[in-house]
Amino acid sequence: MINRYRWWELVLIYAGMALFLTFMLAPFVEAFMVSLRPLAEVFRIPYRFFAEGMSFANYRQIWISQPMLGRWIINSFGIAVAVTILSMMCSIPAAYAFARFKFKLRDGLLSLFLAVSMVGAAVLIIPLYKLMLALGLLNTYAAMIIPGAAFTVPTGIFLMRSYFMRIPAELEEAAYVDGASRLYTMRRVILPIAAPGMVVVAITTFITAYAQQFLFALTFNSKNHLNPLPVGLYQFFGHQEVRWNELMAASIVGVLPVLVLYVFLQRYIVAGLTAGAVKE
Amino acid sequence: MGDLKLTGVTKDFGTARVIHPTDLQIRDGEFTVFVGPSGCGKSTMLRMIAGLEDITSGTLEIDGKKVNDLPPSKRGIAMVFQSYALYPHLNVFENIAFPLRVDRRPEAEVRQKVGAAAEVLKLTERLQHKPGELSGGQRQRVAIGRAIVREPSVFLFDEPLSNLDAALRGEMRVELSRLHAKLANTMIYVTHDQIEAMTMADRIVVLNAGRVEQVGSPLELFHRPVNRFVAGFIGNPNMNFLPATGLGTTPEGVALQIQNGPRVTIPVEGNVANGAALNLGIRPDDLRPDPDGLPCRVDVVERLGNSTVLYCVAPGGGQICMVTDGSTRATPGEAIGLGFDPKAAHLFIENGRALPRRHVPVDLDRIPTARTA
Ligand SMILES: Nc1ncnc2c1ncn2[C@@H]1O[C@H](COP(=O)(O)OP(=O)(O)O)[C@@H](O)[C@H]1O
Ligand SMILES: [Mg+2]
Repeated sequence: MINRYRWWELVLIYAGMALFLTFMLAPFVEAFMVSLRPLAEVFRIPYRFFAEGMSFANYRQIWISQPMLGRWIINSFGIAVAVTILSMMCSIPAAYAFARFKFKLRDGLLSLFLAVSMVGAAVLIIPLYKLMLALGLLNTYAAMIIPGAAFTVPTGIFLMRSYFMRIPAELEEAAYVDGASRLYTMRRVILPIAAPGMVVVAITTFITAYAQQFLFALTFNSKNHLNPLPVGLYQFFGHQEVRWNELMAASIVGVLPVLVLYVFLQRYIVAGLTAGAVKE
Repeated sequence: MGDLKLTGVTKDFGTARVIHPTDLQIRDGEFTVFVGPSGCGKSTMLRMIAGLEDITSGTLEIDGKKVNDLPPSKRGIAMVFQSYALYPHLNVFENIAFPLRVDRRPEAEVRQKVGAAAEVLKLTERLQHKPGELSGGQRQRVAIGRAIVREPSVFLFDEPLSNLDAALRGEMRVELSRLHAKLANTMIYVTHDQIEAMTMADRIVVLNAGRVEQVGSPLELFHRPVNRFVAGFIGNPNMNFLPATGLGTTPEGVALQIQNGPRVTIPVEGNVANGAALNLGIRPDDLRPDPDGLPCRVDVVERLGNSTVLYCVAPGGGQICMVTDGSTRATPGEAIGLGFDPKAAHLFIENGRALPRRHVPVDLDRIPTARTA
């Protein structure tokens, strides 16, 4: 592994990565820059990257112009956490059953789950609305949490199933011979071994839930105090003007918790996604 | 106590019959080895005894009680798996303690029992390590430790040494024999390796394609195999089989003509028709150079130091293996005559059944088994 690349190969590699990252990160950079500018500078022609009067004033202003902002962020976080918990409570036992038990239509059911997740929420939003209406769940947190969980369960099942399948059946047989019940074995043997996998699934579910709550909230909720952040942000669209700078500041504040979470947990994600890929 | 009795036990997977009706009795304290080629149903048999597989028909009794429908933990058995099945997230102490934790035993008892097991298995230094930090032999011992603390009346082992290298396997064989001498429990041990069977067993059960071919002490199987399968499976290197034609029965035994070779009379019981197709079985150690014997040609020479193995080509083209002394001067390509003492030979009739031998070099009833010693 020493000096595998020549210097010009390294230059090419880094140039490629820089290009790629520029495309990926430019919107974030611009959003951050906009959030620092006064509103007049946002619309200035010609465009200037470093505008006059840049400051963090907008980050103070947003809490004043939209007093509900804190509530929205908490809603967003709370809904995503609730979706994650509910989704995992469904997907873990289901994935275990798919991985370990033989039953009729097992493979068919699994494909069905995947098919549902491929159709996606947007296509089903009208029937879902009818369903929520019938159940009297419109304008509640449940209306945003339950469909969110439902659409993350298939991926959860699929990921967890592959973790469970990697655990040798002999471990469970050994526990069974020693007198452990299925539940005891699940609690003391299977779940601890599958823990890295569960962290990965939890994080991906959380991120998906955070991203997809917009659609459900927009459709199923009209109570402002229940809104998650992405919907709440629309209130920065005033009657005369759109306060882009404050909108960007609020967006960044809203995304920050997820970003922090990701940075802290990313080594689990990488480890979890590649675990078992190479023979140990 | 650990008496086991199988009566007419069978096992079907779907429509495939994997174990044909089997009757077997295993006495308390016996070290019994199930041996047979891969896929013959050894694991299935063991797993039925353990309670991990349903018994399709027949009854299994442990200590006189029918246990067909009891879960493993109620049968008084403990099992050691081929892959060891250690829990990777628990340290050695907790791995060994697992059955006791399941049973909610008091902490003091857990400590005392795990400590005692670790002492026997020389694992005291390793109790805080995770299985991933142990060598193969140590993992094996942890798996055995987990079985010991349950104080079962019957130990079940499924190919426990097959993941170890040859040197370690030899050591573990000796350790297992010692353990058996110390604990004096019934042990049922599954292996495809006839050397493990010969070295450790009080009694060997030879299985083939889901049937018991023969049950007996190692020397019984070696000197009195009941059929060609057992004769070929037990003993290393494998027994040679020479096609022969029967010439009738005489008071001295059965006379026959070895194909492309001399006529001999083998001292065995039974009648053989003139012209019957027979197989003559001779162990490689029982062959010796003899200018008047079967004319062969040396093909490969393996020098092991204390002995030399010669692989020869017989006149009909078949291979014959011979074990001779380490100082032989035989070289590949050389012509060699192979002779043997008729008393040492085995004779198999058409369906592979052996005719009982009149002379056996050892008094089988007076050789002590490992247990009685
Ligand atoms: N769960 C199962 N389903 C179907 N067939 C099986 C199953 N387990 C084992 N068998 C078959 O039973 C036979 C005996 O297997 P096994 O007892 O594992 O053999 P051994 O341990 O002697 O190598 C094999 O032919 C195997 O294919
Ligand atoms: Mg097996």
